[in-house]
Amino acid sequence: MDLTLAIAILVTVVGASTPILIAALGELVVERSGVLNLGVEGMMLIGAIAGFVVQFHTGNPYLALLAGAAAGVMASLIFGFLTLSLSANQTATGLALTIFGTGFSALAGSSYSARPVTLMQPLFPVELATHPIGKVLFGYAFPIYFSFIMVVAIWYFLHKTRAGLILRAVGENDQSAHSIGYSVTGVRYLAVMFGGAMAGIAGACFPLLLTPQWAERMTAGRGWIAVALVVFASWKPFRLLAGAYLFGLVMTMELYAKAGGGPLSVIPSEVWAAMPYLATIAVLVLISIRRDASTNAPACLGKPFLPAN
Amino acid sequence: MQFRLEKRREPSRFMLYATPVAAVLLTMLLGGIIFSLIGYNGFGAVREIFLTPLTNPYKWQDLGVKAAPLIIIGVGLSIAYRANVWNIGAEGQYIIGGLAGTGVALATWGMTGWWILPLMVLAGMAGGMAYASIPALLKTRLNVNEILTSLMLTYASVQLIYYLIRAPWKDPMGMGFPQTRLFSEAARLPTIIPGTIVHLGVPMAVLVGFIAWFVMTRTVFGYRMRVVGAAPSAARYGGFSENKTIWLAMLVSGGLAGLAGVLEVAGPFQRMVPGFPTNYGFTAIIVAFLGRLNPLGVIVAGVVLAITFVGGEVAQTTIGLPNAATGIFQAMMLFFLLAADILIKYRVRRVTHQASVETA
Repeated sequence: MDLTLAIAILVTVVGASTPILIAALGELVVERSGVLNLGVEGMMLIGAIAGFVVQFHTGNPYLALLAGAAAGVMASLIFGFLTLSLSANQTATGLALTIFGTGFSALAGSSYSARPVTLMQPLFPVELATHPIGKVLFGYAFPIYFSFIMVVAIWYFLHKTRAGLILRAVGENDQSAHSIGYSVTGVRYLAVMFGGAMAGIAGACFPLLLTPQWAERMTAGRGWIAVALVVFASWKPFRLLAGAYLFGLVMTMELYAKAGGGPLSVIPSEVWAAMPYLATIAVLVLISIRRDASTNAPACLGKPFLPAN
Repeated sequence: MQFRLEKRREPSRFMLYATPVAAVLLTMLLGGIIFSLIGYNGFGAVREIFLTPLTNPYKWQDLGVKAAPLIIIGVGLSIAYRANVWNIGAEGQYIIGGLAGTGVALATWGMTGWWILPLMVLAGMAGGMAYASIPALLKTRLNVNEILTSLMLTYASVQLIYYLIRAPWKDPMGMGFPQTRLFSEAARLPTIIPGTIVHLGVPMAVLVGFIAWFVMTRTVFGYRMRVVGAAPSAARYGGFSENKTIWLAMLVSGGLAGLAGVLEVAGPFQRMVPGFPTNYGFTAIIVAFLGRLNPLGVIVAGVVLAITFVGGEVAQTTIGLPNAATGIFQAMMLFFLLAADILIKYRVRRVTHQASVETA
């Protein structure tokens, strides 16, 4: 394989992996606080349409990312209010949020179909990306660097800061955290809002990085894959990075298979299209064969908090 | 004036059944306001979506046909969710059920015989059960989360449709369209009221609801499902194996989703097309919750959701409301219902200043 093709593939892998990584990082923080938000797909779709609309009208991709984040936070607050303030069932509420996000984004986007936007340009000057190695290092738009920074930042936050310790305490033992004076609900609200912002940004990446237009359900289940990756990664940020790139690779193979030619096209394109989902099942199976996956899960995951007194 | 939540001694049965009604009414009210605020004829939309399908007798047959799959899938999901088994891949099991029925219809194409339809129905149910047994197997053997596996299988099943109707099952006379040939007469579900589109699946759905209600309230199977969901440790103590419950819940919900799929392909569609996945499997999740995971409630909830589907189409043509609005109304119903759940276990007390000092 010649170098140019290899680099082209690498760049595609990075683009496909980034939204999953960003969304999964948000969900990781949410789950570490003891909350299971299955609405990632819905929040991503809401972020995608918000980002698209702002990019369409302003042409400023940074504003579009911010809009995606803001829309994701708003959506996550619906989830937060129901599950944290009213202790509603988290599984059902997350599903409702995804159904809502699918409908909301389709409605908001109904007048924008088949209208192109401009893709987000690389962060660094093009001169830096002329050499192949320069392209690999400096050829990407801002969200790619953001995703890498967030992997490190979230790891640092969770394991090296006091606030991160409190967040983990709330996720592992909410009653104790409550009894020593921390606001369990407050911490979880912040975590849920962070997860919403990250899912919103991840959604906005779809029109900004991948396909420069609006399409209904354009996130195509990537939000669910992000949720699965958090399990796969045993709630650890660096493993999440590896998992997201594994999926990016699988999805890129699909793109090349569909483009036709080469050894990949022997297998029907539908098999490639189904591959990310089957791969998700495969990694979930592998992770549970290797050890009991549930031992790493935050102890309070998915359970509503009701103070004992 | 302050309000305070006070835990009830036991869950309120009144609230259990009053809250779904309140959720629908609140959705109509707030939905109307929200859609007005974003520039649509909000209350016109509410009237068309929630009332026109009921007041216009020409729409009743559509209601029945839309409600049937929602009820059949919703009944299965209500049984699984009762047992705390989160099968959210009913859409995939519905698709595999439809494909299995299609397989039989194509294999018997051109033949006649009363046995073809029952064979299709059996194949559809078996297909749904087989597809649901994958998450069941992974959950019981390896403790893999059934939410994620059942959902991922749904995405994969959609691709299976695309592959089958593009290549091996493609209609040879279809002018290149990716779809199967039209089923022969013997493989089509008969209509039961002449001159309408109401097919055999409609009374079957109601029957499924009543049978499930009987099974859930009057048999050991139903007791097992309810106990495992409500009190897992008591169920273990009582000798109910958790794994067996997971298998039963998955097979029942998958089999019913498969049944809905085969009825849908043999009834309204009469051939397999790319548009076969219509999200009934996902909407049935709302149906199950709105029906309070009670099979009889699911029948009512299935009709309510069918009303919004039919009404959504009406609103699209009469007042130009985008079809996506239906999904928003449906999700709002579920949001309100989940929000109101707290009223089952808690009551809202107005506390005067004095009273709050006393309790403090």
